[in-house]
Amino acid sequence: MEEKKADIEKFRIYEDIIPDFASFMEIIKTPQPYWLRVNTLKIKQQELVNRLQSKGFVLERYENMNAYKIAKMPVKHPGATMEHSLGYYYIQDLSSMAPVWVLSPIPGENILDMAAAPGSKSTMMAEMMENRGTIIANDINYNRLKSLAANIERLGITNIIVTNKDAQTAKWGKFKKILLDAPCSGEGTFRKNPWDFRFATDKERAMLVKQQKKMVENAWNNLEDEGILVYSTCTYHPLENENVVKYAVEKLNMEVISVEVPVPHAHGVMEWKNEEFSFYRKCVRIYPHLMDAGGMFIAVLKKR
Amino acid sequence: MQGGCSLQFSRKDEYREYFVERFGISKKVMMQYSFWQRSQKVWAFSGTLITERNIEILGVKALTLGKVPKPSTAFLRVVGSYATRNVVTLNSQDALKFLRGEELKGEFSVDHGYVIVRSTEDILGCGFYADTLKSLIPRKYRVQNTWI
Repeated sequence: MEEKKADIEKFRIYEDIIPDFASFMEIIKTPQPYWLRVNTLKIKQQELVNRLQSKGFVLERYENMNAYKIAKMPVKHPGATMEHSLGYYYIQDLSSMAPVWVLSPIPGENILDMAAAPGSKSTMMAEMMENRGTIIANDINYNRLKSLAANIERLGITNIIVTNKDAQTAKWGKFKKILLDAPCSGEGTFRKNPWDFRFATDKERAMLVKQQKKMVENAWNNLEDEGILVYSTCTYHPLENENVVKYAVEKLNMEVISVEVPVPHAHGVMEWKNEEFSFYRKCVRIYPHLMDAGGMFIAVLKKR
Repeated sequence: MQGGCSLQFSRKDEYREYFVERFGISKKVMMQYSFWQRSQKVWAFSGTLITERNIEILGVKALTLGKVPKPSTAFLRVVGSYATRNVVTLNSQDALKFLRGEELKGEFSVDHGYVIVRSTEDILGCGFYADTLKSLIPRKYRVQNTWI
């Protein structure tokens, strides 16, 4: 328990950038609730809600979105139901849905998801696209592709092409929309499993930042002119977030576009270790104490 | 998935006819999908863009080829609600048995061979009927005792 307490204290480096930091420190001591998204390719939202509630689930819908907090469940794991096996819903944190809402996929579009496994966002996009258009869902990790494949199959997604390439160098073609939910230090997922969470060392973070910048650069290569890149991570460190966006602005001449996201959020960080980020108001930071979910950073970049 | 040495898919839309003929699914529904063969597997894809080489997965596996094609539970769960023949409808008790992988006795007015099995509410998946109804639900989808 002492070690766990010490881990939580590592978040104190963000004391000056996370609003209402005391509430943040309180909520990360609590377990993160499960959220689910109804697979509307297979079932209507209300029909699934009725079925799960008749089995003893208590679901709280977020606003008028396809996002339900599981307030109470009669099983240990929220996937231990016949409805889950039939592909009627997907367990996905509310914060993880936000980058897809920002990207706003519509039926018929072609979209590249550069780091897709296990497929939460790719399958959500496919659902919003009504299985029309095409998603290329890529991941470099072959083992993680297995979970992506299993989710595609269970959910009945028929418009995804899965590839196993290095997102730092691969060429897929030209896209109007790209999602790069970049590999990151994952601090926003801390509440899911605080006992096993390991904070990145400085050296590991430097390696991640290098990869993230290379991936953004390669996203630029795969974007059409005027195309949109949604860059997201599930971590709080500005080096992996605003710093990478600054790289895209200064080295790739990309434009930061204001983000609209239908969940409570803060804007980006203005300054970190004497480095300023002039575009900070256009970025989004989602914090667990603002909506009882995980953490997420989102920026939208346009190719000029 | 092919373990990192991706074989190429080749387009074989003739497999669309299998679903039209065997299950009476309308051509209009099936025209939403193109069909792609790799080795003994056929995949159904509703996308509109194929510029990719070295693809790992393309849509959903629809058929495994053998003496006769075997439809996948995953794809039947996508198109099964449009089927007009060779469909077995189970009551909720038998549906649960079927989802547990149990064999069911009984006579059903369907042809022998692969059938679509459903309950009043859900498309459950693929079965094989020859005097008894065998469940071909993959193990990963079978209902466990601890589930509800």
